Amino acid sequence: MIHRKIFALLLTVLLAASQIVTAKASAAQTTGPQAKTPIQHLIVLMQENHTFDNYFGTYPGADGLPGNVKMPVNPANPAAGYVIPWHIGTTTITDLSHTAPTFLAQYDNGKWDGFVSALDAFNQNGTIAMGYYDSSDIPYYWNLAGNYVLFDHFFSSAKDGSFANHMYWVAATDPQVKKGQQLATVLQNVPTIFDRLQAAGVSWKFYVENYNPQITYLNPSTQSNRESQVVWVPLLNFPRFISNKDLSSHIVDLSQYFVDLQQGSLPAVAYIVPSGASEHPPEYPASGEREVKSLLQELMRSSSWNSSAFMLLYDDWGGWYDHVLPPQVDAQGYGARIPGLLVSPYAKKGYIDSTQLDFTSVLKFIETNWNVASLETRDANANNFLSAFDFSQAPRQAQLLTMTYGAAPAPNKAPSILIFSSYGLALLLTILAIGFAVVRLRKSAIPVKE
Amino acid sequence: MNTKPGKSLSISTSLPGSASVGSSITGSTGVARPRIATIAKLHEVAISRLLLAISLVSGSILRLWQINAMGFNTDEAVYAGQAAAIAGVPVLKDIFPIFRAHPLLIQFMLALIYKIQFSDVAGRFLAVAFGLGTVYLTYLAGKTLYGRLPGAMASLFIALMPYDVTVSRQFLLDGPMVFFGTLTLYLLARFAKTQKVEWFYASAAALGLTFLAKETGIIMLASVFVFLALSTVLRLRFRDLVLSLVLLVLVISPMPITLLLAKRGSTGQNYLTYQLFRRPNHPALFYWQTVPPALGIMLLVVAVVGLVFLWRERSWRETLLLSWIMVPVIFFQIWPVKGFQYLLPIAPAVALLAGRLLGKLVDRRRDAQTSRGGINLLAVPSLLSWAVVGVMAFSLGFASWQRIQPEASSLFLAGTGGIPGGREAGLWIKQNVPLGAKFMAIGPSMANIIEFYGERAANGLSVNPNPLHRNPAYDPILNPDLQLRSSDIQYIVWDSYSSGRSRFFADKLLAYVKKYNGRVVHTESISVKDSQGNLVSQPVIIIFEVHP
Repeated sequence: MIHRKIFALLLTVLLAASQIVTAKASAAQTTGPQAKTPIQHLIVLMQENHTFDNYFGTYPGADGLPGNVKMPVNPANPAAGYVIPWHIGTTTITDLSHTAPTFLAQYDNGKWDGFVSALDAFNQNGTIAMGYYDSSDIPYYWNLAGNYVLFDHFFSSAKDGSFANHMYWVAATDPQVKKGQQLATVLQNVPTIFDRLQAAGVSWKFYVENYNPQITYLNPSTQSNRESQVVWVPLLNFPRFISNKDLSSHIVDLSQYFVDLQQGSLPAVAYIVPSGASEHPPEYPASGEREVKSLLQELMRSSSWNSSAFMLLYDDWGGWYDHVLPPQVDAQGYGARIPGLLVSPYAKKGYIDSTQLDFTSVLKFIETNWNVASLETRDANANNFLSAFDFSQAPRQAQLLTMTYGAAPAPNKAPSILIFSSYGLALLLTILAIGFAVVRLRKSAIPVKE
Repeated sequence: MNTKPGKSLSISTSLPGSASVGSSITGSTGVARPRIATIAKLHEVAISRLLLAISLVSGSILRLWQINAMGFNTDEAVYAGQAAAIAGVPVLKDIFPIFRAHPLLIQFMLALIYKIQFSDVAGRFLAVAFGLGTVYLTYLAGKTLYGRLPGAMASLFIALMPYDVTVSRQFLLDGPMVFFGTLTLYLLARFAKTQKVEWFYASAAALGLTFLAKETGIIMLASVFVFLALSTVLRLRFRDLVLSLVLLVLVISPMPITLLLAKRGSTGQNYLTYQLFRRPNHPALFYWQTVPPALGIMLLVVAVVGLVFLWRERSWRETLLLSWIMVPVIFFQIWPVKGFQYLLPIAPAVALLAGRLLGKLVDRRRDAQTSRGGINLLAVPSLLSWAVVGVMAFSLGFASWQRIQPEASSLFLAGTGGIPGGREAGLWIKQNVPLGAKFMAIGPSMANIIEFYGERAANGLSVNPNPLHRNPAYDPILNPDLQLRSSDIQYIVWDSYSSGRSRFFADKLLAYVKKYNGRVVHTESISVKDSQGNLVSQPVIIIFEVHP
């Protein structure tokens, strides 16, 4: 009894504490301009190095791998043979070259046939470029696509690797650094979406997994596993985002994302970059999937879910094959298609959106939704992805998805008709047996002699 | 199984309701007697009908009063979940497997209702209908065995009996099983009385439905055989016995057929193996402690006194009723698994034995024969027995009334009622927890309730991963730590009922809550009295969200 009383007391304290936290969180809600759509929180996670065909090339209904694809080993010599798409599964892969020269070689003046040969030229196994994953390898992502929105014409912004594409993601440009110039100096005059949001009073945060504030352009890490922070968080190359506390305080560790969700203080715009589970080859996609699942589950269980949209994007093609020749909107882009997913209570269910998009489309959405000015020509001209939403519908209840693709095996293999017919017949048989006795013996209910 | 003509007179004159009684009185006492006997008979009919009406009305009130005040308990949730799966109710059909441990007759019947309207209370209404049906069948059985008045008295006892009232307010399989069992008893009584084998066939079919309602109903087959073996008045040809068995097999065949066609043939075998070798779930004296108060101590005493008092008038009737009582009592006393409601099938037979004595004592015609002038001394037992009937009815009804009040308790005995807060917690989950979320509860009892009301998958931590040591109907949580760590389980539910039964797993569950940063997201509390008698709020169900 005493044990129960103590437990009850403890529980009361816990409940009271949680209410205080909720109250504080409500007070910490953003006070900036109201969003024009029901989306009051946009969260964008930028993962690493995959093409659309590499992840969703066999996804039903999407613009995936055509049946007749074969990539020449040497485009100049058809006799050298071809490589056809193959399922990677658990095959060990390598980090394929994904620099601007590699892209140009694979692009092959618009013939789009150098995927194998370009890597072979870098002493890599070009055959790997034609590998793809399917539902057995990335079931969670396929489940997301089946329940929310899959973009099958989302292009990386630049014909280049990570940094250029991340720059487009935050600034709609990848400024060229002339000889003798410092990147930081150039970036001083480059506005980012976060400058716009800051000026407009729209809350924002840049969540960085395993964030180390000491690693910036001033002090890049020499540790190979941390040097990516400056590349994947382009803001750390902008002097003002390091020196100005009002701005730098918005760059926080990813653990803060979970705190913000629990406290109901998720900002209007949230960018997320990974550290360990980025899916960057040779890493298997599974660890990244688990990370994404964790981020999404927390969002779905939070009070912010009903007004949020979560985008999962990949910064560049990573050297992988994709069958769609990227449109050339300017000298720098587009790069190859990348996988894009949108998860939101307003997202159309199982919808494949073929709108032509790139990373500046994210900026376009932010600018439209929170009424801030565009940054560059790219984002001004970019398509929005509003077509992926259905704002006429009531916000959909969140659905936690599993790491098993497709519907769970039905627990009931027997058709109900089998139950209805067999048990119904048993009931009927009994009724007939009793009815027979009643009708037949109605007039002969003479008691037995005892 | 041959008749003994020598016994016929003594027994038939002791049967106030039988046709032979009236004729024997009429033939032996002159001109005025038939008129008196007719009046007495009319009185008996009227009184019996009145008693039956009171039985049905009071039985309905007791069974329907605040029937939905509390949500399903774990067994109700499972059976209703199966019905929902048969009916194809969205979400639930993907959570509840149709085939678990029991046959599906009652779930099939509820599924027919679910095809029209899905509601948890529908299952309880169905159970009440079966309960009231049992009241009426007890009357019919009593009328067949001893006459209208004893039958009406027995139906009154059943209608008010806490045992039957408690069980038939819940959507359990036991209430319908008792209905079909009582139907079997009634048809068997008609067979014994008329010696017409058609009734025996009908009773075989009814026994089949008793099994299809709940497999433990097959125990009544042993009761039938014991009755046939001990009775000296029945004539049953071997051919009829075989044909009846064929009919019985035909009626119960849906269970094996559906299991085989659904390739779930091992389900029944696994469950039987588990039941045979599992450890006892209650002490040996469980039934002696719980069943007599539920039947009514006074009712039991009257039934036993009747057997002793009227021992010289014993016949196949008492053989039938005692077979109906003793076989299940002995079986379930020996069987390691015990459940509060398992002995309910004996209730109508006990009520009939009590009705037999009291009916005998208030034999109106015997009073009528001797009431012409002077003080009717023989009316004294009649008045006394009416008083006993009144006291018994009041005490049974009062006990039932007390039991059906939605009294909050943080402890729970399976089969005795709903779980306070269970439905409310489940509905909160349905409204506030993402689809596809997975729950871990202390045991499968709370997990079933969450699955039915919350429409989310839930498993019990206490379910043994070793298939030899668990109920095959339940899935264990293999490596719960890993599943929590990898966010495959997102919620943990603690409840006081399971905690009271399994302190070890309750502590283990709370250790996981602590390890994975559990945060209270919902609490269901009830008001209970503390040691000073003051009402205090006590949490009974707590839902934690875990954040690995």
